[in-house]
Amino acid sequence: AMSFLKRFPPPAEGVRHQQPDTEAVLAGRTPGAGTLYIAESRLSWLENSGVGFSLDYPTISLHAVSRDLNAYPWEHLYVMVNAKFEEEETKEAPMAEGEEEEEDSDDDVEPIAEFRFVPSDKSALEAMFSAMCECQALHPDPDDEDSDNDYEGEEYDVEAHELEQGDIPSFYTYEEGLSHLTAEGQATLERLEGMLAQSVSSQYNMAGVRTEDSIREFEDGMEVDIAPVVAGQFEDAEVDH
Amino acid sequence: MEVSHSVKERTIAENSLVILLQGLHGHVTTVDLRDESTATGRVTNVDAFMNVRLAEVSFTDRQGTVSRLDELFVTGRNVRYVHIPDEVDIRATIERQLQAIHRVRYFGGRDKGRREFPRAKHK
Repeated sequence: AMSFLKRFPPPAEGVRHQQPDTEAVLAGRTPGAGTLYIAESRLSWLENSGVGFSLDYPTISLHAVSRDLNAYPWEHLYVMVNAKFEEEETKEAPMAEGEEEEEDSDDDVEPIAEFRFVPSDKSALEAMFSAMCECQALHPDPDDEDSDNDYEGEEYDVEAHELEQGDIPSFYTYEEGLSHLTAEGQATLERLEGMLAQSVSSQYNMAGVRTEDSIREFEDGMEVDIAPVVAGQFEDAEVDH
Repeated sequence: MEVSHSVKERTIAENSLVILLQGLHGHVTTVDLRDESTATGRVTNVDAFMNVRLAEVSFTDRQGTVSRLDELFVTGRNVRYVHIPDEVDIRATIERQLQAIHRVRYFGGRDKGRREFPRAKHK
């Protein structure tokens, strides 16, 4: 038995990806089929019976998608953890061949545990990998003394600074900005996107412009009174961003 | 040109050599890990925390066993060394990345728009 398994409820919040029918393999042993939960707080795997284990992102050194069947016979998500997952019976039970921990006697070497999550749906590996990348990025190394990442505190409060600046436009990149939209802003965005979608579908009929193609289309006698475009028409317009 | 969408990450990158690593997108490089294993692959992303994402990787574990990994993500904490490919002009790469960050930051004009963190705090 794998003694580090315990019973706990599946994570309820911040689950970026969930993959049912996934085997978890540690050191060649597998407790069976279960569901992998890639949540923002931790990585959890729960067997269908309700027992499983969790891994904290700070303990995960790396993860990868392995499709090299020479290295391991099934395509899987490989996760390397900086921790020892020992089974209590290790000392009594005979070690199976190939499972000897060569690093046991070497105190300098860090413990590592290698997990392989084998989903029955191999096409899900990309999504699983990406979800893990996102969650991992949420847990930067708190012990990082080398870098001077001290950007917290007063000077960092960009938003407060902007509020003081009245009419100066604030520029958000896409991901940051979406979360700042009010309900009204959201409605405006939807309306604008709707307008864009319409204009794409009738691309030869831009308002105020009559292209060669649109002239052909209107030859059924329906004259549309649109001023023809003159080259340089808008050159003297004041552009104010 | 890959520039982070996060103000904080742009600021961190601008003030550290991570900015050089971020300029390596698309290049094949070797990353030495803390545990003596190495990974050689094409850089697809490096974030401000030096988490490195590689594609089409040849991974050599600490026992010397080589395997191929389609994609690999190494946490910054476990990166010991990133080899800069010979064909990369280091100074030009850093300048290009800084320009990309400044384009995002000064969109409204030098003194308008969002004022990001102007200077790093020095201890």
